[in-house]
Amino acid sequence: MPIYEPTLPPAPDLTQGQPPSLVLMRFDLTRLWRQKIGRFFGFAFLIMLLVKLAIIYVKYLLGSNPAFEPMQDFAKAVLPQGPAFQAGLLDPAGYLLWFLVALVGGGLVARDTLYRVRPLMYAHPVRPRDYLLAKVGFASALPFVVLLPFVFLPWALSLMVAGLQGPVWPTVPLRLLPAIALMSLLMGTLAVGASALAATPRAGVGWVLGLVLGTSTLASLVHGLAGFAGAEALNPIVLAQAWPQLFVGQEAPLLGWLSALLGTAFHVVLWTYLAARRTRPSEAVI
Amino acid sequence: MLVLDRASLRYGPILGLSPTSFELPEGGGITGLLGPNGAGKSSLLQLVSGLLPPSGGTVTVFGEAPFRNPSVLARIGLVPEGDRLPAGLCGDRWLGMMGELSGLSGAPLQAALARALDTVGMGDRARLPFVRMSKGMRQRMRLAQALLHEPRLLILDEPFNGLDPEARLGLMDLLRRLAAEGVRVLVSSHILSEIAQLTDRILLLFRGRLLAEGSVLEIRHLLDRHPVELRVAGEPRAVARWAVEQTELAALRLEEESVVLSVRSPRDILPRLQQAAAEGRLPVHALDPLDLNLEAVFQYLTKDHV
Repeated sequence: MPIYEPTLPPAPDLTQGQPPSLVLMRFDLTRLWRQKIGRFFGFAFLIMLLVKLAIIYVKYLLGSNPAFEPMQDFAKAVLPQGPAFQAGLLDPAGYLLWFLVALVGGGLVARDTLYRVRPLMYAHPVRPRDYLLAKVGFASALPFVVLLPFVFLPWALSLMVAGLQGPVWPTVPLRLLPAIALMSLLMGTLAVGASALAATPRAGVGWVLGLVLGTSTLASLVHGLAGFAGAEALNPIVLAQAWPQLFVGQEAPLLGWLSALLGTAFHVVLWTYLAARRTRPSEAVI
Repeated sequence: MLVLDRASLRYGPILGLSPTSFELPEGGGITGLLGPNGAGKSSLLQLVSGLLPPSGGTVTVFGEAPFRNPSVLARIGLVPEGDRLPAGLCGDRWLGMMGELSGLSGAPLQAALARALDTVGMGDRARLPFVRMSKGMRQRMRLAQALLHEPRLLILDEPFNGLDPEARLGLMDLLRRLAAEGVRVLVSSHILSEIAQLTDRILLLFRGRLLAEGSVLEIRHLLDRHPVELRVAGEPRAVARWAVEQTELAALRLEEESVVLSVRSPRDILPRLQQAAAEGRLPVHALDPLDLNLEAVFQYLTKDHV
């Protein structure tokens, strides 16, 4: 009599799901959505965006309506002109965006450290690089998504009211999209690297803010004491401000191309390396 | 199913697990991984569950190395030690993410969630946030995440820590049921009684070394240096007179209403004692082996290696 294999229930199909990075990013997005911190930041960024749009409309009126001709000299003195105006569309990339990235990104890895979730994830078919990709991807996508309306809505308004001769250049999206991609990558990697150093989400927020402000202070000190302007390339805030200026061709940008490139590469490599080291399976032991 | 061939693990200069070799066969069953704190239990589980590569030797699970190997990890379920889960998160959401990380989605994911929650008895309470769950409930949720993808090897690190007796018994029943369904369960603990209640197949680790492997009785019989102690209740002098004539007797201790015999080969002497009692030559009321249990085996083995 033949011996048959024991009858087992059919194994589930484990090949239908999304890539682990995408699952983790979606989960972080859901968590962020439920935290509702977006209400404050959404309101603040909306106000900034409305002010930008209002300024563009005012500039359009100043340039096209003879009734405002007497005010043109005053407006030119007050409002930035030319490339500086185009780069200024991304002004919110200042402290508020850094604060948002610190609040959200600071907890991304630290929360998993606190609750010891990584051993569980790595015991599933999740590789460390999937995990890292998800965290850096999410932390970088957040500022990118926030900055997108600051590029496209002024551009669209300018095209609508004044066509190709409007205050916003028709080519602005092509110039600013690479800039915000680099800024977002810088912010995302720094936030994830700092979060990987922290043991709790709150500590992660502190680490991000501390690193941003600490490196800024250090760079300013070196610049001031040694007179070496290239030291500002270590300053992540200056780097984030410099990229739009470089891409729109502003005169006397905060940093040159080489300095900005080296500074950004330094931060991205350093923080990605640290995050990778701190999220290895051996750091996530049972 | 699981083969370790001189597998070792180093944490820098510290040797977490000395070269260790053993095999676990295919099919269901429970194997206890026993040892005091710092014995190397978690190190061994990290190797088996693919969290770390061995520093030396090889680890093979389902015929392949488990480290960063999705095809092996898809067949392993891990319940790590600890009780920390994202406090504000609801159990079902977290479980859903874990299922998706295993490659499930849509209807199969929902079916797997329902089945795993039903198995651990959390079907109606999974929507609670973790912060409102008891420790036993959280442990069941952790077990549910390990069962979502129907693993053939289930690894649990100190699963009974902090559980009340009722939850502990419930979890033991659950593990026995899974083993009966064909799942190989590898469970670690430093509490002897827990493992003794659960299984008699053990792997005994001490100071990073595998000291023994097999059933408690098999291991006990191999411990020749420690004669087995049998308490024979009856007429003490008559039993003692009979015992001193036996070649297997190593020592004898008279108590008030019984005699404690230390014998080298209980398998030989016990049939003769049984026969003598049956024939009425030996007034025996009860026979109680004193050190054929897991605790005694553990003590003898660890004493020998101090």
